[in-house]
Amino acid sequence: MNGPGTAPDSGLGEETEDVRVGVYVCHCGGNISDVVDVKELAALSAEYPHVVVAKDYPFMCSDPGQALIVEDIKAHGVNRVVVASCAPALHEQTFRRALQRGGLNPYLYEHVNIREQVSWVHKADHAAATRKSLALVRAGIEKVVRQDPLEALRVSAERRVAVIGGGVAGMKAALAAAGAGLAVTLFEKGPALGGRLPELGRVFPTEDEGAALSRRMEEEVRSQPAIEVRLGAEVRRVDGFVGRFSVEAGDGPPVKAGALIVATGYDPYAPAPGEFGAGGPLTVTLPEFRAALEGLTEGPLLTWKGRPIRDLAFIHCVGSRQVEGIHAPQADGKVNDYCSRVCCTATLQTAERVLDRHPGTRVYDCYRDIRTYGRGHEAIYERAARKGTLFFRYREDAPPTLVEEGGRARLRVKDVLTWDTEVDLPVDLVVLATGMVPRDIGALADSQKLPRGADRFLQEAHPKLRPVELANNGIFLAGTAQAPMTVDEACAAAGAAASKAAQLLLPGEIQLDPFIVALKPERCDGCGACLDACSYTGSLTLSGEGPGRRVEVNPALCKGCGACVAVCPTRALDIAGWGLDQFEAMADAIAAV
Amino acid sequence: MTASATVSASAATLDVDVLVVGGGIAGLQSALEAAEQGRKVLVVERQPSIGGRMINLSKVFPTLDCASCITTPRMASAAHHPNITIRTYSELGPIRREGPRFTSTLRQKARYVDEAACIGCKRCEEACPVFVPDEYEHALGARKAIRIPFTNAIPQTAVLDMDHCTLCGLCAKACPTDCIDFLQEDAEIPVTAGAVILATGHELTSMAAKPEYGRAALPNVISPMQAERLLAPHGAYGRVLRPSDGKIPDSIAYVQCAGSRDASLGVPYCSRVCCMYAVKQAMLLSGSLPVADITIYYMDIRAFGKGYEQFVASARAMGINFVKAKVARIREDADHNPIVRIERQEAGGTVEEVRHDLVVLSLGMLPGADPEREGFAGVLRDADGFVRTPEAKLSPTLTDEPGIFVAGTAAGPKDIVDSIQDAGGAAMEALRHLRSNGLEGRP
Ligand SMILES: Cc1cc2nc3c(=O)[nH]c(=O)nc-3n(C[C@H](O)[C@H](O)[C@H](O)COP(=O)(O)OP(=O)(O)OC[C@H]3O[C@@H](n4cnc5c(N)ncnc54)[C@H](O)[C@@H]3O)c2cc1C
Ligand code: SF4
Ligand code: SF4
Repeated sequence: MNGPGTAPDSGLGEETEDVRVGVYVCHCGGNISDVVDVKELAALSAEYPHVVVAKDYPFMCSDPGQALIVEDIKAHGVNRVVVASCAPALHEQTFRRALQRGGLNPYLYEHVNIREQVSWVHKADHAAATRKSLALVRAGIEKVVRQDPLEALRVSAERRVAVIGGGVAGMKAALAAAGAGLAVTLFEKGPALGGRLPELGRVFPTEDEGAALSRRMEEEVRSQPAIEVRLGAEVRRVDGFVGRFSVEAGDGPPVKAGALIVATGYDPYAPAPGEFGAGGPLTVTLPEFRAALEGLTEGPLLTWKGRPIRDLAFIHCVGSRQVEGIHAPQADGKVNDYCSRVCCTATLQTAERVLDRHPGTRVYDCYRDIRTYGRGHEAIYERAARKGTLFFRYREDAPPTLVEEGGRARLRVKDVLTWDTEVDLPVDLVVLATGMVPRDIGALADSQKLPRGADRFLQEAHPKLRPVELANNGIFLAGTAQAPMTVDEACAAAGAAASKAAQLLLPGEIQLDPFIVALKPERCDGCGACLDACSYTGSLTLSGEGPGRRVEVNPALCKGCGACVAVCPTRALDIAGWGLDQFEAMADAIAAV
Repeated sequence: MTASATVSASAATLDVDVLVVGGGIAGLQSALEAAEQGRKVLVVERQPSIGGRMINLSKVFPTLDCASCITTPRMASAAHHPNITIRTYSELGPIRREGPRFTSTLRQKARYVDEAACIGCKRCEEACPVFVPDEYEHALGARKAIRIPFTNAIPQTAVLDMDHCTLCGLCAKACPTDCIDFLQEDAEIPVTAGAVILATGHELTSMAAKPEYGRAALPNVISPMQAERLLAPHGAYGRVLRPSDGKIPDSIAYVQCAGSRDASLGVPYCSRVCCMYAVKQAMLLSGSLPVADITIYYMDIRAFGKGYEQFVASARAMGINFVKAKVARIREDADHNPIVRIERQEAGGTVEEVRHDLVVLSLGMLPGADPEREGFAGVLRDADGFVRTPEAKLSPTLTDEPGIFVAGTAAGPKDIVDSIQDAGGAAMEALRHLRSNGLEGRP
C-alpha cells in the first residue's frame, strides 16, 4: 500500500478554500469489520491529503455515529465528509442529513460502499479487502474535495393524486388521500367500482358480504367532494414525472396529478385445459364456486348444475407454488413459484360453508401446507375439520389426478399423512383453489417503466422497509398489484400508499437531487451531438443561429444520465456532482493504491 | 399525581396531535408518517431505548438485511424529527377521553441519571463492578448494573438498575459530567392528544408453557430470541456456541408451533412469523456452521408472504431438513444433549427419539399490552387478547374507541413488512380523524 506521499497530485487549483475532509469507517456491527481491518483503514485514510480526521465506529448510522460527524464539523472545521459503510441506497440520505444538522451543505458528502462491494464479496482475503477499501475511500476523498455545494432542485407539485384502479385498495387509497387533504381522481377501467370484492361472496374471517362492503365503501367515496370518479377510464399512458404526471385515460382530457397510486389488482389463475381436469364438467375454480354457492338452494346435498354432489373435493395450490421441472411453465416460460396467500383460508371457509348448508355432502381437502396464518384464520381451519372435512396432503411432485373409469370419477391422491398410501376418492365435483396472477397493465407499466419482480408482480422499492413505494419517484403501490393479499391487508397498504402521496404533495413543492447536466456555455460550439445522444426528449434544445448557436438545458426533464457528456467534443457538459474531473481523480486514486 | 413523585418542575403538559404508544417498528413508522405530514407526535416507550423487537433481531427474512442496519436509521429519523418527541423508560397511565381529545399521564421512570447531562461515554458502565444477566442478549451475556442499553440504543443515555445496584458510588466517581443521581425519582407528566395509535407490540409465549418441552430448564433448549442473538454479527458470543458448555453445535433442531396453534395453551391461533424466522435462522446457521445438520420439525410451513415461498425453496436447496413431525417431548442426556421425541407425520409415521446438540423452540406471539387492563379509553381486547378491530376488513386499524387506532403486532401476530404497512394505514386514519373532528390545530 502506498504511504501518504505517493498520492496523486490533488490537481486542485489555487483558489480552493481550505478543504478539510472527515473520513468515517463503519464496522456495521461486524458485517464490515469481520473482514476489513477498519482500524488500519481509518489510520491510513487519516494520512491522505486534505483529511483532518478519520475515525471508525460500530454503527455510523446510529445516533452516536452521526453525532461524530456533527461534532467534527463544529470542532475540527470539517467541511467535506466521506463515510465508508453500506450501500448508498440505505444511508446516503441519513448522512446527508447529518451534514445538514452540522450546518454543512448536504452535497459535500461522498458515500463509499465497503460492505456490498468489499466485505460481503471478499470474505476470504482480509488483507486484499482492506486494500480495496482503502482504494475506494481514497477515490471518495478525491471526489469530495472537488465537490461544489449544490442546491436541491425544486419543482412545484400538483396537489392531486391519480389512483389507478377502483377496487377495494383503490377506493381505500382515494378515501385516505382525500382525508389527508389531497384532490383525487380515481380511474376505473370497468363500468363500476368495487373490483373483485363484490364477487367474493362472504369474506373471511368476518363473514361480511363482499358486495355489501363494496357498496359501503363506494358510498363513502361518492360522498367525498375531493374525489372525482372516472368509470370506463382505462389508463392508456402516463407522461411526465413526480409532481407533474399527466394521465391519459378513457375519453376525457389528460389529468394532471402530482403522484400516482397503482391499485390495478390481480387476475385469478386460469388453469390450463386438463390441468387437474380443468375445463371438464367435473371441475370448477374456487372463485367461480364461491360466487355461485350462496345462490344454491340449501338442502342435505349440494346440487351443482342439476347434479347432486355427494362427494366434493378441494385441491389447493392450483397455479401457485409451482416448481420448475414439475409444473408446466406459464406463457412467459416461468412457473408461478409464489404462494397466493388467500386460497387456503378461502378454501377452508368454503368447505365449512358447504358443510353448514349441505350436511349430507362429504368434503375432502387435498393440500400441501395449510396456511391459515391470519387473525381468525386458524379457527376456520379448526371448524372445517371439526365439521367433517377430511384432509389429504399431497407432495408437489405427486399431485392428485382425476380418473374417470367406470361410472364414477375418482380423485387419486398419494397421501403423505397415511405414509404415501394412494387413495381413490369418489368425487362428483372438484374445486380448484386457484390463486392470483399478476395483471397485464402493459401500456401503463411501459409508459413509466414500472419495475416487476421475478414473480412478475410490481416490485416495491424495498421489500421490508418501503413496501408501498416503487423505485419510480412519486408512484406508489396499493393492494394485489404488488402481491397476493387479503382485503384487510390491501386496505392497510392503501392507507400507507396514500400517506406517502400526502407527504410528497402537501407541501406543494418537491425537492429533487440536483445531479443533472450543467452547461459551460463558453465551451459549447452548438454542434448538437448531445441532442442525438439524449433519450429524454426536451431536456436539451438548440437555440440561436450560426456561430451563436448554443445548447440549452431544461432541468425539469433531465434525468442526469450523462449520455450527452460522453459525446460532447468540447467538454462543455458535465453532470453536477459527478464531474469528469472528479471521475478522473477517482480513477487515478484507485490506480495509485 | 403527587408533587413528591416528580423530580423536577418540568411537568408542563405534553400536548400533541398524535400520541403513539410503543416505540417498536410499528410505532416509529406511524410516528414518522404523521410527523412528515406536519403533525406533532409523542412516542412513549416502556424500555430504555426505542426499537422494539426489531432492533434485537439478527437479520430479517426474506431479504437477510442486517436488522440493526435497517432499524437504526428509522430510529434515528424519528429521534431527529422536529415534529416527534420521544419519551423512553416511560409508562403511560390510563387514557381518558375529554371532549374531542384524549388525556393521560406519563410516568417517566427514574434512570438515576440526568438525561440532559449524560453524554453516553460509558465511563460509568466501565466503572460499575456489578454484573447482571443482559436482557438485550436474552441472558446469554452480562451487563453492568448501570449501562447504556446497547450499542445503537436511542437515546444513548445510561440507565441504572436499582434492583442490582450496591450503591458503591464508583459510577458517580467515574462520570465526567456528574450526572448520576441516586435520589432521582419517577416523574409524572400530563399528556393530551387529538388521536392515539396503539403500537404496543407483542411478547413471546413462555419457554415453560409446554411442560413436555423441559419447562425451560434444559440449558441447550433455547428461545428463538437467544438464537437471534447467537446469530447477530455483534451478538452475545460473536459466534454460534451452545450455552451449556460453549461447544459448537453440529446438529440443531427447530420445533415449530411450540406454543401456538394449541388451544390447551390458550393460544389457538398461528403466530405467523415463527415458520419464517425458523427458516431464516436455519439458513443463517448453515452459513456460519457449514457442516452442521439443521432440521425443522413442522406441521405446515406457512410461507405466505411476498418472496417467502421462494425463500423456503432456497433453504431446502441449501440442505435444511424439513421433517413433518409432531414433537411430543424433549428431555436431555447426561451431557445436556437434548433428545427430541418425534411422531413423524409422513414416511411410515414412526415414533423416534433424535439427539441434537441444540434445540430452538419456535415460540409464538402474545399481546404486549392488554388495552382493557391498561384502561385505554374504550379500546377492547378480542378473544385472542390482542386489540379488537371492529372494522377488520375495510379499516383494519380502527379500534372500538373512535380516535384510537392500532398498528403492528398489537393487533395480532405480524411480520415487519405487514407491521409497516399497518403503521401507514393507522397514521392515515389518525390524520383523517383529526381533520374530520376539527382537531387540526392544537389549542
Ligand atoms: C424470534 C423472532 C424473529 C423474527 N424475525 C423476523 C424477521 O426476520 N423478519 C420479519 O419481518 N419479522 C420478524 N419477526 C417479527 C417482527 O419482530 C415483528 O413483526 C415486529 O418487530 C413487530 O413490531 P411492533 O412494533 O408491532 O412490535 P414490538 O417490536 O414488540 O414493539 C412494541 C413496543 O411497544 C412497547 N410497549 C408495549 N406496551 C407499552 C406501553 N403500555 N407503554 C409504552 N410502551 C409499550 C414495547 O416495549 C416495544 O418496544 C421476528 C419475531 C421474532 C419473535
Ligand atoms: S394459500 Fe394455500 S392454497 Fe394458496 S397457494 Fe398458498 S399454500 Fe397454496
Ligand atoms: S407460523 Fe408456523 S410455526 Fe408459527 S404458529 Fe404458524 S404454523 Fe406454527
